[in-house]
Amino acid sequence: MTALSLDMASTGQARTRARATRSSALGAVVVLLLTAILLLFMVYPVAYIFYGSLKPGGGLLGDTAGFTLANYRRIFASGFFTFTRNSLAICLAATAVSTFISVCAAYVFSRFRFRARAALFGAVLLGQMFPWIILVNPLFIVFARWGLTNSYPGMIFCYTAFTIPFSVYMLTGYLATVPKSLDEAAIIDGATRFQVIWRIVFPIMLPGIVATATYAFLLCWTEYLFALAFLTQTDMKTLPLGLYQFFGDDRVDWGAVMAASAVATLPTLLLFLPLQSRLASGLAAGAVK
Amino acid sequence: MRGERLFIAGMLAPAFVVLALFYAYPTLQNLLVSFTDLSLLGLKRGGNWVGLDNYREFLTGPEFRHVLFNTVVWLTALSVALRLLMGLGIALLLDSALLRRWRLSTIAKVAVLMPWATPPIVAVVVWRWMLEPQNGIVNAVLRNLHIVDDPVAFFADLRTVWPSVVMVIVWNTVPIVAVSLLASLQSIPDELNEAAALDGASRLQQFRYITLPFLMPTIVVLTLMSVFWTFNNFVYVWLATGAGPGTFTNVLATEIYIKAFVDFRLGYSSAVGIVMALVMAGFGVAYYRFVAPRELKEGM
Amino acid sequence: MRNLLVKAAALVIAAAIAIGPAWAQGTVNLTFRFNDTEEKELRAALDQFEKQNPGIKVTLQRIGWRDARDQYLREAAVGQGPDVVHVAQVWVKEIGQAGAALPLNDLVKSSPPGSGFTDFMAQELAQTKDGKIFGLPWTTDTWAMVYRTDLLKEAGIDKLPDTWTQLHDDSAQVKKRTGKTGFGFPAGGSSSGAIWFLANFYWWSNGKAMVVQKPDGTYGMNLTVADIADCMHYFKSFLTEGHNPTSNLSASDAHDPAILQALVTGQQAMAAMPPNTYKQVLEMYTAANPGKPLPFVSGPFPKGSVTRSSMIGGRMLVINPNSKHPQEAWKLVKFLASEPIFTQYYTTQFPAQRSLLKNVNWSPELKGFAEQLGYARTWGPYSDGPAPIGAMWNATGRAFSAALSGQRSEQDAAQELLQAVSKLMQNRAQ
Repeated sequence: MTALSLDMASTGQARTRARATRSSALGAVVVLLLTAILLLFMVYPVAYIFYGSLKPGGGLLGDTAGFTLANYRRIFASGFFTFTRNSLAICLAATAVSTFISVCAAYVFSRFRFRARAALFGAVLLGQMFPWIILVNPLFIVFARWGLTNSYPGMIFCYTAFTIPFSVYMLTGYLATVPKSLDEAAIIDGATRFQVIWRIVFPIMLPGIVATATYAFLLCWTEYLFALAFLTQTDMKTLPLGLYQFFGDDRVDWGAVMAASAVATLPTLLLFLPLQSRLASGLAAGAVK
Repeated sequence: MRGERLFIAGMLAPAFVVLALFYAYPTLQNLLVSFTDLSLLGLKRGGNWVGLDNYREFLTGPEFRHVLFNTVVWLTALSVALRLLMGLGIALLLDSALLRRWRLSTIAKVAVLMPWATPPIVAVVVWRWMLEPQNGIVNAVLRNLHIVDDPVAFFADLRTVWPSVVMVIVWNTVPIVAVSLLASLQSIPDELNEAAALDGASRLQQFRYITLPFLMPTIVVLTLMSVFWTFNNFVYVWLATGAGPGTFTNVLATEIYIKAFVDFRLGYSSAVGIVMALVMAGFGVAYYRFVAPRELKEGM
Repeated sequence: MRNLLVKAAALVIAAAIAIGPAWAQGTVNLTFRFNDTEEKELRAALDQFEKQNPGIKVTLQRIGWRDARDQYLREAAVGQGPDVVHVAQVWVKEIGQAGAALPLNDLVKSSPPGSGFTDFMAQELAQTKDGKIFGLPWTTDTWAMVYRTDLLKEAGIDKLPDTWTQLHDDSAQVKKRTGKTGFGFPAGGSSSGAIWFLANFYWWSNGKAMVVQKPDGTYGMNLTVADIADCMHYFKSFLTEGHNPTSNLSASDAHDPAILQALVTGQQAMAAMPPNTYKQVLEMYTAANPGKPLPFVSGPFPKGSVTRSSMIGGRMLVINPNSKHPQEAWKLVKFLASEPIFTQYYTTQFPAQRSLLKNVNWSPELKGFAEQLGYARTWGPYSDGPAPIGAMWNATGRAFSAALSGQRSEQDAAQELLQAVSKLMQNRAQ
């Protein structure tokens, strides 16, 4: 990376600034327009879901004036508090465990060279190569025999296993942008490897960890296939299962579907909101000495 | 040296223990079952050995090329490419100083994440409704703007069904690409771009020589994971079109679902699954060898 | 010595506390998996059952129909699963033969349900050839045609179509005179799509069938390529002539929201559906038009060259062979099949017992369903025969969708379907 000496920069600076002010007005308009279109595309369907959740026909059937909370009342009467609680507990735990394990593994993959490195790195991805539906039957048999069905530990284990491959890969990628010199400097200063990970690298990698943890959480949050197979008792079910139950054989309770989906969206937003500031720039500034 | 090796082993162990416990048995079991004619109705009885019959039937079947083409080109290639492009665009947008100045960053980030929090079935339901000829807003807008005269039946017309399905997938999954790329973008020190700007580099040059290399590790991983995940994906196609009209949008994963859970042929569907895994394994190896060998060898 | 006595006493007391409650209770815990949306009503019924049978507690579980069979087969294979299971009638024989349903013969004999087992409809679907009874028929229904009277009037149609030809012509007339959809049926080919029902009703009404049992006891097909192509051509004509919008090529369910919305908002004049779907249409119309009379009427399916026909749909109850309390499970099954359940709790379905069906109070809008039930037939050989119903259903949907969407010619699609089903009839899926 080229460095720059300040005295040569002054004239260049002035020129660039002049250029910038002319194009910045047009640029601003373009950026705002793009942002508006983007927001519309992303948000409109979700807004429609919230809108439909307040209508008896879910915004799909019939057209009644006025809004109603009946859909929400209905889903909470059929156990949605329990489903949400189960989902939160399982997904948060799985995300935490998976992120921790993945950071450890990613650090090693990124910082060390050892003989089996390439092979092991590839092996992490092995399970992801299969379509999930053919994993369901054999896994169900194993889980049933070990009594892991209808249990929190069983689901947490399952979701941790799902999210580890992607997390390890992504975190290894993020770690590549954290220079090894930092580690070495800290070790020379007397830190143990472990301290290096959590005191030095982790804070810098925080945006990457937040992104990875978000992915992991949302993957678990909307997961349906394995939850269906492993959670048959009503009080253990997760949110996606609760939502699917409104799809009947010859009729669908659209209002409940929309309300359930709105409920599914909310916790993720509430969890993400405080964290998204970590996805702000400025944290990496000063990392390069 | 020994201490270091112990450290490496210790850090890797938890991940591999979990992965081994979870994936080893199903993988072996599927391999074994793929050589039998096991049926969902005969789980207790077990299946009979049929050797490579399942594989032969699948690979020489009349539908094979059509299903493979759908999976590779329409489902995977198109949606992954769109996801990356759009995700990159969104990430750049969210990172831009302009948004920060107008305090739109937070709202934009939250808005971008909302589609990802929507369960796939609801995403499909809402988009199908929005694209519906009589009741959907998209057709209403198209007709109002006189772009079309008659409403377009997006999911029924063979010309528009794949783009529609791909759009639902992209809508539902681009947030994670965007957020991951955003995280990478945030880790680029501002000084680098400022220095380059002072040097006289245009925005495009800045992007090409500073930003993009920084993003490469993330892009490489996202591409690989997206390909794996989409290639094997069943939910979106199944919920949106049921692999129809006819078998027009049938992909490998829906083929497996039909064979396993409608026709009950677990042996055959396992064989298809194994073939898919081999294809993905081959892709992974080729990917790291030719497309991104540097990532594998270097810093990673 | 005293120390030892104290310890022994403590042990005995501890044991008593541990075992005591179990002794005193002796409660039997049953699980009932029920898959429809009337969970609240069923729970109330179960509370009544628990009151009548102190010592038995019933937990209610639910899994959507889409995944119910696979889930249950998985669980039964590893020795788990609920005690009493709500299943589709066409699954019972397969489940029984897979060893996932308890033979009920002894229970039926020693403690007969309802007004005796012979009062139950569609019982042939519950029995295998060796006489083993694997399920008890619980609910029954059939499909019927549904019409918007105001649109029919506007189109100048003064009586409901009686034959398939009349249905076609009336549908075209609706489109011509009012510009609205005539017979808007789902033409999609999803693996459990509605076109399967319509096609079969068409064939049955003309004296044909996909699977029949021949006089010598073997099974065959009473369908030629020409029959299939003719059926495809009939339904395709609605699409090509425009009185069934082509968007219905992506709709596979009778309860597709676009179709229901079209009925509710008066954009469509005719449809075919099960009673529960029809009730949702009526509810939605009432919600959108409070106080107005319902412009809906139901009627039987059109006649073919032989008769008019539809299937007797239904659900059954099976007992898990892994159940630890089959006697109590049977008590629950009998309770669920008793009259009060249908009159007080589970009122959205009709009982599968002839004696009870006679007493059902059909509201005027539902008269068509009552009439059609008289013409309905069970799946019979479809379920008895060697080919799995699900596979035939899927193959039919795919073939029809390919023909109706124009991907294949009717001849080719019909040929492919015939071949696919013949193949299924030959290799029985183990």
